[in-house]
Amino acid sequence: MTNEDKLNELLKQHGIEMEEDKYSALENIPQKAEGCEKLMEIYYTLKNTVDMEYPYWYNRVWQENDGDITIVRRAKAMAAALSHLTPTIQPYERLVMNKTRNVRGAFPFPWVTASFFNAQAEALMAEADAPAESEADAVSIVGDGGGNVTKSYGNIISIAKKFGMRKEEIPVLVRVSKPWDGNSVEELSNKYAQYTPDYALEQNIMESVLCMFDSYCIPQGREVMNYYLPLQYGWDGIIELCNQRITETMGEADSDGILGMGRGYYYVAMKILAQGMSKWCQNYADRAHYLASIETDPAFKKNYEDIEAVMSHIAHKAPSTFRQALQLTLCCHYGVVNEDPQSGQSIGRLGQVLQPFYEKDIADGITTEEEVIELLEFYRIKITSIECFASAGVTGGVLSGNTFNNLSLGGLNRDGLTAVTPLEYLIIEAGMRCRTTQPTLSILYDEKTPEDFLMKAASCTKLGMGYPAWMNNQDGINFMMLNYGPEGMNLQDARAWCLGGCLESSPGCFLPLNYNGKTYWIPGGAGPTAGSGVHFVGLPKVLELVLTNGYDHRMKRQILPAHNKELDSLETIQNEWVNYLKMIINALNKVNNLQMDIWRKHCMPIVNSLLKPDCFTKGRDLGMMGGRYNATINFESCGTITFINSLASLYKNVFKDKKYTLEEMLDAMLHNFGFKTSYETGVFSPDFREATDLAGKYEQIFADCINAPKFGNADWEADQFLKWYEDTMFDLTRSYESYYGKPLYMCQISVSTHGPQGFVTLADAAGRLAGTTYSDGSVSAAAGTDKNGIYAIFQSATVYDHGTQQNAQMNLKLHPSAVKGIQGTRKLLDIVRSYMRKGGFHVQFNIVDSNTLRAAQAKPENYRDLMVRVAGFTQYWCEIGKPIQDEVIYRTEYDN
Amino acid sequence: MKHIDCKNYTYLDCEKGMCALTKMMLPIDGKGSDACPKFVMAPKCGCCTHFKDPDSHGLGTCEGFEKPNWAYASCGAGSCEYFEMRDER
Repeated sequence: MTNEDKLNELLKQHGIEMEEDKYSALENIPQKAEGCEKLMEIYYTLKNTVDMEYPYWYNRVWQENDGDITIVRRAKAMAAALSHLTPTIQPYERLVMNKTRNVRGAFPFPWVTASFFNAQAEALMAEADAPAESEADAVSIVGDGGGNVTKSYGNIISIAKKFGMRKEEIPVLVRVSKPWDGNSVEELSNKYAQYTPDYALEQNIMESVLCMFDSYCIPQGREVMNYYLPLQYGWDGIIELCNQRITETMGEADSDGILGMGRGYYYVAMKILAQGMSKWCQNYADRAHYLASIETDPAFKKNYEDIEAVMSHIAHKAPSTFRQALQLTLCCHYGVVNEDPQSGQSIGRLGQVLQPFYEKDIADGITTEEEVIELLEFYRIKITSIECFASAGVTGGVLSGNTFNNLSLGGLNRDGLTAVTPLEYLIIEAGMRCRTTQPTLSILYDEKTPEDFLMKAASCTKLGMGYPAWMNNQDGINFMMLNYGPEGMNLQDARAWCLGGCLESSPGCFLPLNYNGKTYWIPGGAGPTAGSGVHFVGLPKVLELVLTNGYDHRMKRQILPAHNKELDSLETIQNEWVNYLKMIINALNKVNNLQMDIWRKHCMPIVNSLLKPDCFTKGRDLGMMGGRYNATINFESCGTITFINSLASLYKNVFKDKKYTLEEMLDAMLHNFGFKTSYETGVFSPDFREATDLAGKYEQIFADCINAPKFGNADWEADQFLKWYEDTMFDLTRSYESYYGKPLYMCQISVSTHGPQGFVTLADAAGRLAGTTYSDGSVSAAAGTDKNGIYAIFQSATVYDHGTQQNAQMNLKLHPSAVKGIQGTRKLLDIVRSYMRKGGFHVQFNIVDSNTLRAAQAKPENYRDLMVRVAGFTQYWCEIGKPIQDEVIYRTEYDN
Repeated sequence: MKHIDCKNYTYLDCEKGMCALTKMMLPIDGKGSDACPKFVMAPKCGCCTHFKDPDSHGLGTCEGFEKPNWAYASCGAGSCEYFEMRDER
């Protein structure tokens, strides 16, 4: 009998019944709906696939409308592309639509980036013309890693090491790409970037992977959807509104000599887009009608007829039921993610947006809780199937294949009361039954959040899928007021914030949905991308370059100008680090501003410019600051704690104890403390060490570096550097302006960049070896260095005010035994609450046995459905790269 | 004819699809990829009366719209406002 059982027995003898823990084990959770089970069985067999229907139609209509007003031309191209997609409906689906005709489908955007396809045109054509090796080869070779197509086989060409494209589509790709040669956002911005004074420096920075990627690669996302307009008016209603606005604004400047005349074109574009969206929905209704006509099974036939009814309705009218409303939000979501390469287009607070529809359907007896849970399970599968086509570096190195469609729950409503709705309980329930990578769930933790809701969420976190993650609602509101107050944000709007992307706090607002004779203030996003600034600068690499006087020993090149300073104090090192960082941001920011400026002029958002307030009110697209809040562009960091630990060791070993000279320390780093590098061993985990003949020479200094103070142990000797860093960066980042003329701010997520950026970084003073992965997140302890327990990490992480930055990211790994039973659920919630009350912004958990992960790494084929939390997202284990797998395995595991 | 050219074929990925009638997985290539007797031609540009002069890669000309333009044979045309199935008799 366990202690918990004994306690329960004792309490029972005294007449006290303990609350039943329905969710102490996976086997107690109801099975997902049968249809969902079937769809997931299919999903696990699917390959990521690109096809050319969308690019073909976009390119065709764009070219045919040469000379038209750009926003109208783009709306025509997008409307044509969406409305010509082949609608795919699987037999078991209840919610429909996809990005493309394939389930895990995506497509290239040559108008954003075409250089690769044009440069490789001949090679691609040669592959297309080559016959399959044999019929057997054509059908039997399967790419490794779940749905990833990492190499070509048979009639399938691997693109970006992730997607498969059929050979017959390659000539189409080549032909569609050709007109964009020299005209894509990528090439135009490269052309003008050369005019920036630090262009050569910027090129060095990118080539050395000091910075991970360019803004044009994924110009939208890291933001929150807004579904208000279609939910309120429907597509026909929006078209009618556009007609009215066109009449009112066409030819009128309305006292705005710069932007006033653009309103008329904007409304023409929005009308065209709304017509395209409507047609796209109708195409699904038509396909469902056909499928119903050939179906003999009554259940399938009924399902198709239901789909036809839903899609016919939302093709024109505002939704009148929960199912229609949910389907319409899905339609909008697909519309937005199809207009650019995107990651992090987040769903927002869907359970609050759709509560009015749910409430009415339940009251009217139209649906039941179980039916709603089932629909939400189907919704999870649809969102999990969203893929992003970008370069291999971005897709794999940064995103780990995820698209970060985050769904937030909780927080406060417009009146400052808990915003939790009954529907949000069901969203969590669906996440427990139908365990998929997306949408990931985020709890906006507030002291006003109901306890039973928090317990439900903790029960879900315990299951080990990595969701929900936990965010501090008050920190979020504080950041909103700080960052968007200058643009007029008030407390009510601040309460509408939530997560865009994995952890990008994004501005929102409440809008009045008139439905069922009542007015509901529903939240939604109110700004453009809360990202797309300077992307992922490797902080430890900058420190390395300070110590090497700007010379990159991996590339054997001078990357940054030599500072030629005598590094005779830690303060000097810190100052030079700041100087280098300023130099880096200055060079990168100008180029990224150009990229995004060219994007907004040539490829402005269309669907998003319809949906996001206040674009429709202003008659202005999102790129031209039609959104209500525009100070959204950030600076993204990577490797914070790796950097902090290095400073702590330099301070201790070189300047305080003076045990080693800086030259001796640098010598040890350059020789990797006498160990083989991860490039040589192929192992990226910090705990793997293979000695060389030099190991003895560096044994003592390596031990001293390993034993130096480390962040995460409530040790001020290390933590002071985090405080210094955060205070310094707050001012530093705000001294740079985005293309919107607004200050940048700090975004502190690593996503997966701690893998590749660790790869390019030498050994460091804290004892991390060359090429091994950085610490994840921004306040996660470096793996294996946190010796004093979870609460010590919390103490270390909260030495500064988390409400001053967009986010702070902490990942914790718990052994399942640590949270077993209902006491374990309470313990988990206590951990979360403790951190939130200290002011921590975010914590997420991997609740998994490391031995399971090791077994999965050895035999991934046996663990197709195993999911892990990386840094802000959940991903299938078999679809993430080995460096990140190694890092997740090595994270400190708390079992008590 | 292949399954992938059938109106009852549901696209899944670059390797396979599903038959709307049998709910069975269907390969695009190789053994088992040939259409069954219940085959119904799917609307694609390649079987449209407006699709002309395809080359060896299936790239031809679409003359269905006001402005003729290039098109490709395997492009789905079920949602095209000007699609007309070519009479193959």
